[in-house]
Amino acid sequence: MTSFPVFPVVWLIAAAALAQDIKNPHTTAADVAAGARIFRSHCADCHGLAGQGGKGPDLTTGVLFHGSSDAALLKNVSDGIEGTAMPGSFFSSDQVWQVIAFVRTLAKAGPAKAPAGDAGRGRMLFASRGCAGCHLVKGTGGVNGPDLSFVGSRRPPDQLRKSILEPNAQVDQAYWMAGIVLENGTPYKGFLLNEDTYYVQILHPAQGLLTLPKRDFREFIVQKTSAMPSYQGKLQEAELQDLVAYLWSLQRPRSAE
Amino acid sequence: MRIVTLFMLGGITWAQLTSERLLKSGAEPQNWTTYSGSYKGWRYSLLDQVNRTNVDQLKVAWVYQMPVTERIETTPLVVDGVMYLSEPPSNVVALDAATGRPYWRYRRSLPDKINTCCGQVNRGVAVVGDRVIVGTVDAHLVALHAKTGAVLWDVKVAESKNGYSLTGAPLIVKDMVITGIAGGEYGIRGFLDAYDLKTGERRWRFWTIPEPGQPGSESWSGDAWKRGGGPTWVTGAYDPAQNLIIWGVGNPSPDWNGDVRPGDNLYSDSAIALDADTGKLKWHFQFVPHDVHDWDAVQVPVLVDGEWQGKPRKMVYWAHRNGFFYVLDRTTGEFLLGKAFATQTWNNGFTAQGRPIRKPNIDPSPQGTYLWPGVQGATNWYSPSYSPQTGFFYLTAWENKGLYRKGDAEYIPGNHYIGSVPEIDLPEEPGWGAIRALNPKTGERMWEHKMHTKPWSGVMTTAGKLLFGSTGGWISREKTAMESYFFALDAESGKELWRINLGGTMASNPMTYSVNGKQMIVMPAGSGVFAFSLPSP
Repeated sequence: MTSFPVFPVVWLIAAAALAQDIKNPHTTAADVAAGARIFRSHCADCHGLAGQGGKGPDLTTGVLFHGSSDAALLKNVSDGIEGTAMPGSFFSSDQVWQVIAFVRTLAKAGPAKAPAGDAGRGRMLFASRGCAGCHLVKGTGGVNGPDLSFVGSRRPPDQLRKSILEPNAQVDQAYWMAGIVLENGTPYKGFLLNEDTYYVQILHPAQGLLTLPKRDFREFIVQKTSAMPSYQGKLQEAELQDLVAYLWSLQRPRSAE
Repeated sequence: MRIVTLFMLGGITWAQLTSERLLKSGAEPQNWTTYSGSYKGWRYSLLDQVNRTNVDQLKVAWVYQMPVTERIETTPLVVDGVMYLSEPPSNVVALDAATGRPYWRYRRSLPDKINTCCGQVNRGVAVVGDRVIVGTVDAHLVALHAKTGAVLWDVKVAESKNGYSLTGAPLIVKDMVITGIAGGEYGIRGFLDAYDLKTGERRWRFWTIPEPGQPGSESWSGDAWKRGGGPTWVTGAYDPAQNLIIWGVGNPSPDWNGDVRPGDNLYSDSAIALDADTGKLKWHFQFVPHDVHDWDAVQVPVLVDGEWQGKPRKMVYWAHRNGFFYVLDRTTGEFLLGKAFATQTWNNGFTAQGRPIRKPNIDPSPQGTYLWPGVQGATNWYSPSYSPQTGFFYLTAWENKGLYRKGDAEYIPGNHYIGSVPEIDLPEEPGWGAIRALNPKTGERMWEHKMHTKPWSGVMTTAGKLLFGSTGGWISREKTAMESYFFALDAESGKELWRINLGGTMASNPMTYSVNGKQMIVMPAGSGVFAFSLPSP
């Protein structure tokens, strides 16, 4: 034992016990309507106007990967979700409850149906058509592209399809490419991780993590397009469907509540 | 699959830290590749750019502020210009070691309820090849890709609901990750684990509390062994020549009421030496049989080959929470020396085998029993250091008296199983701290650097004949008087050569590395990690 922690621990246990009893106090039709307005202005950008998903997960399935209880939703909508792009909000808890009341109405669509296509064949295509060279899936593959381990939870099938055919349609800032030439002529090209007043940080495919001082730059361009080739015309329609089915099958396990 | 293979081969051009390099960490002092800087547990660096003549010119080079409020206990690692460090509770960050600018950050999503006795802390990561390994407070072990922080594998080590957590830095040995477990206040059954570095599959587990029928089980009664404690939450050492992992084991459970567990309670409060390939016990030495004072043996073992009474010997130096400095034979576990390094009132000496001869009336009691050292020990988990230059063993020591109370201990899974709570800060006798240098051949004190308050951080020595340490107490609203000085002492004389007030809790250990030819000295304080270097010429 390294300290004297007894009181905070007792308090935490009490707080945890309390959390399980939390129920949404704002569930009237007026609350749902108010929640819908907030959702459209603050949540729809990622989750879609009808909650169908986009940059963020589909909310119409009733499956919420980080917990479906009122307590879990209150925490996640208020504080955001660590390790994901979900930010915290600055609304009062009454407003957060209204958003939750609205989100509950979205779930009527029921569990999402798997897209057409054979996920097993899609998995083979993922390996044979070069995807795994850059993309990591559950610890296997490359790191020169987004980790796709749980991409099925984050993107609906039509978005997945679009990303395969038009990689430039939506490029996460983390995958913009920096092209740098130093005053001494040394060129660098890699993923742009960070830029500040004095430095640019990149992930170089061969040299790994680098911090380069801007004062030594002769040339610095940022390419906001994707390094991924388009698969338009390179996959048969059936193959494309198989690949989408595979990617969609990469679902995040639901958190235990 | 061919493409995958080609990509992997291409990846090798990126400078990689291998297990072989870990064996010869002395050959690359610019890096700090394991928790203690080397397998020997010395927390000593060969870097000497910063030395006794210029240490007073140290300046802040950069600060990394963690966006967390929990106490920082991490020792950062540096590999070829990139620093990898954990943030509490269980996050990991990769920084540019020259500027402190972050490359990537892994944020662990945690369950609402976490069972840690003493804060949701983490003491560091392990790095090898393209992976960074971290233990989490929800008792998982996670491998991240060193370039991106992507999760490569994530394995459940134990059930966190029942009080198990991972807070210590893992240790890479060969192609394995060695990790201990925390939870000595929750009635866990402790162990030390080895996992396959590539897959996360468990290779072996050594239970620190034997089950009936196993050797050592005779030191337990009834089914107390099932929740007998024996956590392993501070990173141990590795002796490659003997292929031995040497690790400390913590307190038996419940901590302060031993009634339910008559017997010596092996291997609690012991040093254990395990065969690295099989996890089989080669030897053990129990510092405190049937402990009722929470005197964990969770200190970093310091492995030294040298002369003992005129003959060459492989030894372990160990400054224990119970107030004694020990020297053990590293091949057999034989007791060679036990000498008090701080005030203690519980022990009258040792048998030839090193068993303490306890004074009467030292057990916790319902009305309270006063004893030196107090419950946080005469030293604790923060690191000691050994300098081959001076031949001294250095440690952070506490002079403090505790009031030990005994209460009931009922086992409810996931709840404290301790048997009352002792008093640590007695108003009439708040205690104080010191950095002490010992002659490890005799245990004799060579010098001390006194502090007004009790510190919570370890020490490091360097070839610049310096010792870095801190007066870092825990800064809290209640204790505005706590200090937070980070300082450099002359390792030979103990004379203070430099200090700076960092203004926040210091509860970790200093480390050092070099980048772009510049030696950096690092100490976390408050929410920040501070890096110091000499001014550019």
